[in-house]
Amino acid sequence: MGSNASIMLQQEDLQNICQQTGFTAKQVQRLYSRFKTLDKRDCGFLTREDLLCIPEVNINPLGERLIDVIMDDYGENNKINFKQFIFLLAKFRRGRVKSSTTEFNTRDSKLRFLFDMYDRNHDMKIDREELLQVLKMMVGGNIHDDQIATIADHTIGELDSDGDKSITFEEFCKTLERIDADDKMSMKFLS
Amino acid sequence: MYQNKHSIFLIILLGFIIHKYYCKEQTYEHKPNKPLRFHVAEFNFDHVSDVYAITLWILLGSLAKIGFHLSHRLTEKFPESCLLIILGLIVGGLLYVTHLTEQKAYVLNSDTFFLFLLPPIILEAGYFMPNRPFFDNLGTILLLAIVNTLFNTICIGLTLWGFQFTPLYGGTEFEMLPCLVFAALISAVDPVAVLATFSEIHVNDMLYIVVFGESLLNDAVSVVLYRMFASFANIGQPNIIVMDIVLGCLSFFVVALGGVLIGIIFGVIGCFTTKFTEHTPVLEPLIVLVYAYLAYLTSEMVSVSGILAITFCGMVMKQYVSFNISKKSDATTEYVLKMLSSIMETIIFMFMGLSTVSDSHSWNTGFVFMTVLLCLVFRVIGIAIFANIANCWRLLELTRIDMLIMSYGGLRGAIAFALALVLDEAKIARKKEFVTATIAVVFFTVFIQGITIGPLVKLLNVRRKQIEEPTMSAKLTNRMMDHVMTCLEEISGSGGSNSLRDRVRNLDRNYFKRWLLREPPDRKDIKLLQTFKKINTLTAMRVHDTARGLVPSASTATVQQGMPEHHHLRSHSAYGNVSELIAANLPENTVPDLMSYENHEGEHHHNDAEMHHFLDTNLYSARPRAAIHLRNQDETGSSDDGTHARFEKSYHHRDQRYLPTRLERELPHGPKTISKTVHNANRPIGLKNSSPKHTRSPPTTHQQLNPRSRSRSIAAHQNSPIPSGQRTKSISKDSRISPLASTHIENEGTGRTAVERSRPWRHLSVTEETGASSSKTANIPLANGNDPNLHHIPLTVADFGGTYTKSPEYMGEYATTTKPEEPSSRPDVRDIFNKQSDDVSEQQDDGSTESITRL
Repeated sequence: MGSNASIMLQQEDLQNICQQTGFTAKQVQRLYSRFKTLDKRDCGFLTREDLLCIPEVNINPLGERLIDVIMDDYGENNKINFKQFIFLLAKFRRGRVKSSTTEFNTRDSKLRFLFDMYDRNHDMKIDREELLQVLKMMVGGNIHDDQIATIADHTIGELDSDGDKSITFEEFCKTLERIDADDKMSMKFLS
Repeated sequence: MYQNKHSIFLIILLGFIIHKYYCKEQTYEHKPNKPLRFHVAEFNFDHVSDVYAITLWILLGSLAKIGFHLSHRLTEKFPESCLLIILGLIVGGLLYVTHLTEQKAYVLNSDTFFLFLLPPIILEAGYFMPNRPFFDNLGTILLLAIVNTLFNTICIGLTLWGFQFTPLYGGTEFEMLPCLVFAALISAVDPVAVLATFSEIHVNDMLYIVVFGESLLNDAVSVVLYRMFASFANIGQPNIIVMDIVLGCLSFFVVALGGVLIGIIFGVIGCFTTKFTEHTPVLEPLIVLVYAYLAYLTSEMVSVSGILAITFCGMVMKQYVSFNISKKSDATTEYVLKMLSSIMETIIFMFMGLSTVSDSHSWNTGFVFMTVLLCLVFRVIGIAIFANIANCWRLLELTRIDMLIMSYGGLRGAIAFALALVLDEAKIARKKEFVTATIAVVFFTVFIQGITIGPLVKLLNVRRKQIEEPTMSAKLTNRMMDHVMTCLEEISGSGGSNSLRDRVRNLDRNYFKRWLLREPPDRKDIKLLQTFKKINTLTAMRVHDTARGLVPSASTATVQQGMPEHHHLRSHSAYGNVSELIAANLPENTVPDLMSYENHEGEHHHNDAEMHHFLDTNLYSARPRAAIHLRNQDETGSSDDGTHARFEKSYHHRDQRYLPTRLERELPHGPKTISKTVHNANRPIGLKNSSPKHTRSPPTTHQQLNPRSRSRSIAAHQNSPIPSGQRTKSISKDSRISPLASTHIENEGTGRTAVERSRPWRHLSVTEETGASSSKTANIPLANGNDPNLHHIPLTVADFGGTYTKSPEYMGEYATTTKPEEPSSRPDVRDIFNKQSDDVSEQQDDGSTESITRL
């Protein structure tokens, strides 16, 4: 399987991708084979349904939201091709030393991704409605709306420093300074 | 230093008492020829001697600990464990001189150690194990605990044995197997010592858990190796066949997995039992303790690793029991565990010092030196090898500095010592040398490494443990990161720890929680809500602590606003501020306090300062801001939208559900404060006016209190830097918000969450207390509706009573201070003050009658 996939990936493409993302060739090939596995109809791109077929993603409370982000921000027309796919994942490559950090996997870009999870209307602000949506996804259906609203208000109150009742990216980053977001938003890619 | 002298003196005294009474057999004899008579009282020390000695030990340990912590200079420089060992040495010296060492109760014997002293410490460690870092680093921990310990044992043992061919040991011969036995006990890192040292240096969670986890889990290896080599030594070197070694390896799996299994089984049974303790909440802490101890004893009985068993038992129970048992029981359990482990640790270190002073030593400089050196060298080598191996799969690589601290933190301790003491001298001829060398290594690691590791950590700038403010956003984002990473791992096809964690969490939610909890979780994320509740409580407390800067206490505020004449009716509130009051009412708050106190012993002063700093500067100091905002509005007539929004935002969300329109209704009143200020300017005069009237009044019982409290309030008014109108305004709000915020908390508690429902004590306490203070609450319906400044808002009496009923004084205050007045929708403060002078005499009468009924 792995060898098959690597044949289909052009050599110069591979090098190009490695250079840009910092993945090793093996990692890219492995991801390519994964991409092929997900792409059941073999048409060179993944659709929303393809991703939702993964059971863990399907039951994950934020799964659909994540796919929204992936499709809207990284793919086009509800499709994502391999190059977009690998640029997306490059964000979460662990950049331990300075040299292995590319433009993709900086702390900032990881936080930006998180921020985008909330900010679906791309106004660079998390407003109350957006926060409420995410909260409802994460907390589940059994809880009273008032309670969620209270939590949302509290959260905005914590983060909001300029009093506009919404959270800008800077405010978002500032309060996450103490969290090791860089480590937590990284994963080990098998090679 | 003074305290230290003090405690030494105390020890001498205690020693003297013990000596005097313990040697009673010789000194106290009946004269045979004396006829038997009935004795009014008999001196019978034999009857209690053993228990008495143990109790005295515990007392001595506690006193020593208290003494050390009185002197900050001492505890800053030396770890507590060192001080305790020194103390033990001194006591040991005393006992040695007085020849009391022969008495069994005074020396550390391994039965006492393994059956009584060790389990509480390990249970506490397991119960408070930070699960997430532990399982995140499980691979590294296992590698270090198993392979590294094995590596150390073999290397140290063989090298020690090898050196006997050199003249280093002065001609003393050591056989190979005894050397390996010794290596097995000396190479295991000791959880007690690591816990004692690392809890004082506050390194980051990852580093701490790697070292501590290793020390916990290597128990299985060291037990197996120790037992294996000891039995090999029994069998005799020539008679060992391959089968023995294979069986030895096999027994490792039995010991390790058996221990874990027994621990988990008992943990699960324990959780299951707590499912049915709804009506006997008093027994809940006991159940936790007993099952854990039983797990330990059972595994010791079937000779598998007891330490693993009790660790995992604690970990399992912590997951589920705290959902089942009442909050009080939860607090008690945690507190008792902390207490037990702390005192056991103290006693262990004292015993170590004590047992050092004995005849059974044989100092062999070469051997001791080699042992210490080899322990250090192989620790460093082992960590270097295996940490690098672990880095192959670790996401967060261990740096060189991490490795250095890990090797430097490899402390040996009492377990090694206790194991050395039980060596059979008939089989292992060099027992005395081994015991001495063990003590040397333990003292070396505890003293030299223990004292220097703190400065070393500072010097190398190791990432310290961050004490995170629990913020909602952090919790939320953390959780979101987990979800996102799980998804992405699945998408990218690299099933990492995130996916595994998610799977375990699902399993946990779908099966274990369903079986083991009284109420299965009906929502997805209990933890998120719990955090929110905790934060909410803390916020409420902080807000009121901040308010304290303006007002001595909420009760005084009510008084000044509502009825100054009634000052004399009550002494000052027993609670200094509202947070104390809330803390007294909500038992769960006592736990974090205690825990933080425990964890940062010696630092609590600093934390206090930090807390106050936080109160002054941080987000939640919305109260002063509100005051500023109101003043701005009053003086300039313009409203600052920013502060307005901020104030509203900070408060609105807390009260929203219950009092939807409170703030909206209140804020428009802002401008009126100008007129209020005018009226309030008369207020001190009004107070003065009221006092002569009062002196005429009948209730003499309260007159003693009267002058003091009145003068205080007057002084407060005259000294106040801001216009008294602002003052009263904000005061009034304080007094109003205090019940509201806590009402909200109470309602959080009585809300619909599964966790809360399973804690009936809250409801119980509310009803009990309401019943108990019903005589007082009887005043409230009347007062509640009438007093405009207390709560014109739709706040039910039950809520109000329920929140405060735990402090009768407080209830009493509300009951007596509230002023019977004709109901009005919202009378202006002005009106009250206008009326005040007219009403004074009338109220005086009311007050006195009320006070009489109350008394």
